[in-house]
Amino acid sequence: MQDTYQCLLFLKQDCETCVLIEPVVKEVIDKGVDIGVFVEDDPSFYKKLSPLDGTSLEPSFKWQVEATPTLIKLDGGSEVERIVGWDKKAWHTFFQDENLGSKLPEFRPGCGSKSREPGVYENLVARFSENGIEARKVELGEWDDEMEACFERGWTDGLPVTPPTDARILRMLNGTNRDPKDIIGKVPPNLVPITVEKAAINAVMAGCKPEYFPVVLAALEAALEPVFTMHGLLCTTCFSSPIIIVNGPIAKAIGMNWGMNVLGQGNRANATIGRALQLIIRNVGGGIPGDLDRSTFGGPGKYTFCFAEDETDPSWEPLSVARGFKRGENAVTLFQGDGVQGFIDQRSSTPEQITKSLASSLLAVGHPKLAEFTNALLVLSPEHYAIYRNAGWDRKRITEELHQAMVRPGSELIQGAQGVGEGIHPSRASEMVNKFWPEGLLIVRAGGQAGLYSAICAGWTGGRFRYESVPVTKKIEL
Amino acid sequence: MTSLILRDPTAETSTLSRTRKTPPENLEGKTVALMDIGKMRGDEFIDRLEQLFDEKGIATKRYKKPTNTRTAPHQLIQQIVSESDVVVIALSDCGSCTSCSTHDLNDLDNLGIPGVSILTEEFRNAFNGQCEKIGFEGASIFTPHPMQNKTREELHAFADNVFEEVINKITS
Repeated sequence: MQDTYQCLLFLKQDCETCVLIEPVVKEVIDKGVDIGVFVEDDPSFYKKLSPLDGTSLEPSFKWQVEATPTLIKLDGGSEVERIVGWDKKAWHTFFQDENLGSKLPEFRPGCGSKSREPGVYENLVARFSENGIEARKVELGEWDDEMEACFERGWTDGLPVTPPTDARILRMLNGTNRDPKDIIGKVPPNLVPITVEKAAINAVMAGCKPEYFPVVLAALEAALEPVFTMHGLLCTTCFSSPIIIVNGPIAKAIGMNWGMNVLGQGNRANATIGRALQLIIRNVGGGIPGDLDRSTFGGPGKYTFCFAEDETDPSWEPLSVARGFKRGENAVTLFQGDGVQGFIDQRSSTPEQITKSLASSLLAVGHPKLAEFTNALLVLSPEHYAIYRNAGWDRKRITEELHQAMVRPGSELIQGAQGVGEGIHPSRASEMVNKFWPEGLLIVRAGGQAGLYSAICAGWTGGRFRYESVPVTKKIEL
Repeated sequence: MTSLILRDPTAETSTLSRTRKTPPENLEGKTVALMDIGKMRGDEFIDRLEQLFDEKGIATKRYKKPTNTRTAPHQLIQQIVSESDVVVIALSDCGSCTSCSTHDLNDLDNLGIPGVSILTEEFRNAFNGQCEKIGFEGASIFTPHPMQNKTREELHAFADNVFEEVINKITS
């Protein structure tokens, strides 16, 4: 019926320009022009204009109204001209009347349409258009609790999720330029192809904001690289899960934490990006604990484990740079690791002392007598790093010296040595043995400014196959 | 009030419903919870089931909801979970008791106690509809409707007729 008018006009009570032009509109209507007046907020306010109820915002959405007042001229139901705001000359031409609103100023801009207020537009797309979302619809009963419905269907990690409604999914998809239908890869353990749209649904559920979504997609791409061995990592009886480390300016831009309590709770971006990846593995891949996720213990990192590196100290080379990316490039690194082993050293004051000290703790990763069996992630605190920095040691030197401090005679490590059954193969008794592969010790600088502690995350046992299961770094495409 | 539509976050390789927990292979050493939903005359039907289990040497425990018009109190659910291995819920022959007892079946299943709900034929659609709404593939057995006006002997005969199916549905 909107199509039969000569023109349409969109107004709000809460718009000074709209209120200003009301007498002009009345004059035009009185002259017999057939105007369909839609009021977005309170139609009763403009009752002299006999307006139509536009509070559903469907007409504003249908005509893509961005501001009020908007005047649209129709010809056979199609738009032929549009004036936004009050523009005296344009209105004169539009209605072929030189005297319209002669007492009004020449020009007044309008206000934003209610249909363009934050969060509203995606709701309108969801409600009033074919929004293109392809995932199966799940219709809840009138009295159902949507949070409980998600639990009931087994879609959660045990914590509540944000129910994935169309409006929320559309908002999430706005966080990327990628086509929702793009396939990112196959998600283990069921090796099911995942689209950008399906990733967005799970990111919604995890609680992500749309601006986190590029990081989620990059983390997912990294996880699905065959050499990351997500399949084995999910199904393993070990403790491990993906640990996500974010580098580059995006970390600050989306409000990630690299400081105090960096490995803990409380930061939405850290918490939900890691959780989104885990929900994807669960919901799309079918990685359900007790079914194909066979971890003996699991670990808290299987809810989420994601943080940013502290890049505020220019003397420190960020992890992503050490792994071949440019400084200032956004990247995620995924490491197959366990929970945190705290390292406390409040007495060492030279780089040599702290190196020996860190090495002694790193040797315990997995088992003190195992070697080249797992990788490790060392999260070096600002205070511990300061000891190195003050002595002029950079990432390369620290890494080399740590490796060197962990070389031990094979005779002490072979199975049965020191009265302990576990150990390396007896054939290596005469070798000097490294604890980790040369590339198997990843160092990240993060944590609060105060505290002579660092954190060690043991790597997964899959790391013993040196080239078959490795950490992966991916660029974050914005 | 309109219903909310969510989008499926899964691979969509299976039905939307959660399959029930796999029951034990047999009932040797297991305890069967006989949950009386509190509807009139349901106890007479359950009395006969109890006898039949006893004749087979299968241990049972009786539980009773305070009312068929609400879901079971969580204390009762927890008691069943801690004392039994599988559950037989009987006997629903009305709308509210069907809805509530289906939730009970789902709640117990979620806590690791698979089971079966026995209802009268008239409420087949209600049971299936409730299962669909909560996304649960519940197991059910149907007896003739109505049952309130039957003799004790007739109710016992209903129990006799379904007993084998009950065993089948609480074992795998």
